[in-house]
Amino acid sequence: MRARAFLDQLTGWFRRNRREDDLTEEFASHLQLHVDDNVRAGMSPEEARRQAILKFGGLEATKESVRATTRFLWIEHILQDTGYAVRVLRRNRGFAATAILSLALGIGSSVAIFTVADSLLLRSLPYPDASRLVMVWETFSVTHEQHNVASPANYFDWKAQNSVFSEMAGFFDEYHAVVADGQRSEELDAQIVTGDLLPLLRVRPFRGRFFTKEEDESDAQVAVISYRMWQRWFNGDDAVIGRQVQINARPFTIIGVLGPGFYFHKRSTDLWLTLGLKPATAPRTGRWLQVLGRLKPGVSLEQAQTDMTGIAGRLAAAYPANDTGWSVNVEPLRDSLVREVRTSLIMLLCAVALLLGVACANVANLLLARYAARHREMAVRGALGATRLRIVCQLLIESLVLSLSGGSLGIALAYWAVRGLVRLAPQDLTRFTSVSFDARIFLAGIAISFFTGIVFGLLPAWIATRTNLRDALHGNAVSGSGDPSRLRAWLVGAEVAASVVLLAGAGLLFRSMIGLQAVNPGLEASGMLTFRVSLPHARYSQDEQSVRFFHQAAEKLSQIPGVRSVSAVSYLPFNGMAAGTGVAIGGRPPAKPGEELVTVVRTVLPGYFRTLGIPIKHGRDFIDTDNLTTAPLRFIVNQAFVDKFLRGEDPLTKSISVEMNDKNPMGEIIGVVGDLKEGSLDKEPAPTAYYVHAHLPYTAMIFVIRANSPLALVEPARKVIQGIDPQQPIADVRTMEEILDDTFARQRLSALLLGGFSLASLLLASVGIYGVLAYSVARRTREIGVRVALGAAPGRILRLVVGSGARLVMSGAAAGLAGALLLSGLMKGLLFGIGPRDPLSFVFAPAALVGVALLAAYIPARRAARISPVEALRTE
Amino acid sequence: MKDAANKADVWQGTMALMVLKTLETMGPLHGYGIARRIEQTSGDRLVLNYGSIYPALVRLEQEGCITSEWGVSENNRKAKYYRVTAAGRKQLRKETRGWAEAASIVARFLAPETGQS
Repeated sequence: MRARAFLDQLTGWFRRNRREDDLTEEFASHLQLHVDDNVRAGMSPEEARRQAILKFGGLEATKESVRATTRFLWIEHILQDTGYAVRVLRRNRGFAATAILSLALGIGSSVAIFTVADSLLLRSLPYPDASRLVMVWETFSVTHEQHNVASPANYFDWKAQNSVFSEMAGFFDEYHAVVADGQRSEELDAQIVTGDLLPLLRVRPFRGRFFTKEEDESDAQVAVISYRMWQRWFNGDDAVIGRQVQINARPFTIIGVLGPGFYFHKRSTDLWLTLGLKPATAPRTGRWLQVLGRLKPGVSLEQAQTDMTGIAGRLAAAYPANDTGWSVNVEPLRDSLVREVRTSLIMLLCAVALLLGVACANVANLLLARYAARHREMAVRGALGATRLRIVCQLLIESLVLSLSGGSLGIALAYWAVRGLVRLAPQDLTRFTSVSFDARIFLAGIAISFFTGIVFGLLPAWIATRTNLRDALHGNAVSGSGDPSRLRAWLVGAEVAASVVLLAGAGLLFRSMIGLQAVNPGLEASGMLTFRVSLPHARYSQDEQSVRFFHQAAEKLSQIPGVRSVSAVSYLPFNGMAAGTGVAIGGRPPAKPGEELVTVVRTVLPGYFRTLGIPIKHGRDFIDTDNLTTAPLRFIVNQAFVDKFLRGEDPLTKSISVEMNDKNPMGEIIGVVGDLKEGSLDKEPAPTAYYVHAHLPYTAMIFVIRANSPLALVEPARKVIQGIDPQQPIADVRTMEEILDDTFARQRLSALLLGGFSLASLLLASVGIYGVLAYSVARRTREIGVRVALGAAPGRILRLVVGSGARLVMSGAAAGLAGALLLSGLMKGLLFGIGPRDPLSFVFAPAALVGVALLAAYIPARRAARISPVEALRTE
Repeated sequence: MKDAANKADVWQGTMALMVLKTLETMGPLHGYGIARRIEQTSGDRLVLNYGSIYPALVRLEQEGCITSEWGVSENNRKAKYYRVTAAGRKQLRKETRGWAEAASIVARFLAPETGQS
């Protein structure tokens, strides 16, 4: 019923007005003729008209029945043609399979990439009116940082002074909380929020309630949990509201549950706690708060930016010590979530569009060849009175049957591909938003298939029907204007060009990836286990307790058989997280506001550099006697620190002060170690200062254990930790290799996908070249026969055919090369170690293509060379 | 309801056949002319609403049995002329054979019955 309604609309849309006018005119003429006759028979004009209308029998009713007739016929035709198309395709299995597979490949990859892009770039985030949500960052003129987290006091000032946001809220989600209910304890990801965050997102509690203002400001011990945790931990029991659990060894009351599927900013969050910030006491030093705002209705991003820049200017003037050089950047929430993957996704979308184009060209090519062979059938249809439009429609329906079959297969492929893609994808692709495959995608897939069918079907059908009836019936397939060979050559040329573009892009990405993998990460990654231990502050409130725990744990862990060395660090390298702070060099005047030196800071246990395999370039590592609260304050810095801040001086004679505590006395530098890259391998190393744990006693540390078979140590390590504190879980167990792998997961995924697309495109282009040449050899059998009869050697014939293919390939490759050079600039941000015009990629891509193409040309050429003149001359 | 539909179907088929035959005998003709001609040929035993031939004409045209073209009548009136195509002639021959056969079968059925009574 739906299909019929749709077709009705389609016919109506194309032809209704013209046909209606025509019909009205025809009826008028009919009546006029009748009236004339009646008048001639002696009636008065009025009577003549009345009789004619009576005899006609209802103008509108007749029109309606004509309409019904035409509509009915349309559907009948389509059904007939569809049936016919299916029979034709069944009889030509080879052709149908090639076409359907080409299309499945093109449509499938398009749908798969579109699914990911749709979820990340197009679909609105799952909050009401999500387009009004923006992140408010601080910016720093010295480091050109555009997305810095904010200082809590600044946040409160923004909130009080702005006129562009209806609401503002802050949160912090790099927080891990140990939750215990007496039976089990587990470390969970938590989001610490200001009380207005959840209302700002317009989310409602699924059970219970959210935080009150008092709870928010007084740091009340209340928690909201995720639906996931509610089900997993409490079996969905409604009595969960009011239950007490231990969170970081303090009693908390559960006051609410969020709905299924709710997430914000970090999908793994299971727990929401209050920040306990008050405007009066919020600190201005230290930047760590992420700020979300909801734009007032009618306020544009630019207006918000202007207003906030003004406020930042006033704050910088009022608090020069803290805010000089700092301003504000307002960024749409979605942009902030997909910042890193956006370029990759857009590049991949372009790539699949190209691939789909190649698939279309390929099928159009196949169709042209087939229609040439069916010339006589079409001529007969024409002779029997079928209009050209009717034949074109019939051929189009064949194309649509092909494209919808290919499309269905492609959508099925995409469904599986997306699952694989999400699993293979780097964390930053799926950490913030979910990628889902739903009815929307299915419809988009069908629409793409439909559109594809028309794109590749229309031109061949139109050309194939532009035929000279008599010639065709006489079996002369070659008739000047109807000869589609030139179009086919163009199509193959275009396929070649698109393939070169894809191959060049893939070449660039693979070279970047190999470059990345060859980067010396600055440590020995193999054979290393890492896991995090977050001690609850309530039970380890004294620095000595935490220092003692980690010292003791490291000692016991190193006694596990097979362990070669053990240490711990506050933040692992490469995972994109580290604390940054100001640093002062002994003997220099204090820096002016806005010109402070900034360093990354870590706290480590003795033996950290040895365990990770980081070379010590000067001086020495921390030893156990350094790791005492009573020991003198000492620092180790990295090479980048020396290069940037202590150029030309002997670092081991220097003292520095690194602002992490209330008081930050000078401490001497006792060692200089090799650089590690922060975040990912394509970034430059940042200056880093290392504290020893006793002087900066974090309660959450990540153990690093070097051993031959690290994964075998997980259970023994857990036992060691729980031997010291039975309620203490370990979390985030990973090997260093996994962590390192993750840093180029994005590049690897892009390279693999683009590589796959370019190979598929290469395959399709080869099929196209083969098809065109095989067809031309078949058509020129007689000519070749004559040449052979006149004494042409097989080698000459071979060269003739391969040569005609080579011309196609060369011009296509040249066009593709030009296109690739134009487009590669867009990939700049995705490359590492090579320019967007990397010569090797641009030589390799066309070379690989020409090689494969000539191979595809060789097969029909060899057939041509073997043509026997006797048989050839007999063929026609 | 079902009967009505069946009747309409039969009528539609018969009408198409009559239109085709008329066009073959008379050459190009407009709708009004075709309708009159059908009535005349039946010796006015068949009385039809002239409008009812248009669905048949549209259908025949869609099937490629006839084509149409605007022209001018002998009295200098604008009119749409229909002409039968090659496919139409073929269709006509086929349908004619079919009718002849159907008629002879029905005739055989009816003949002995009248003999017995």
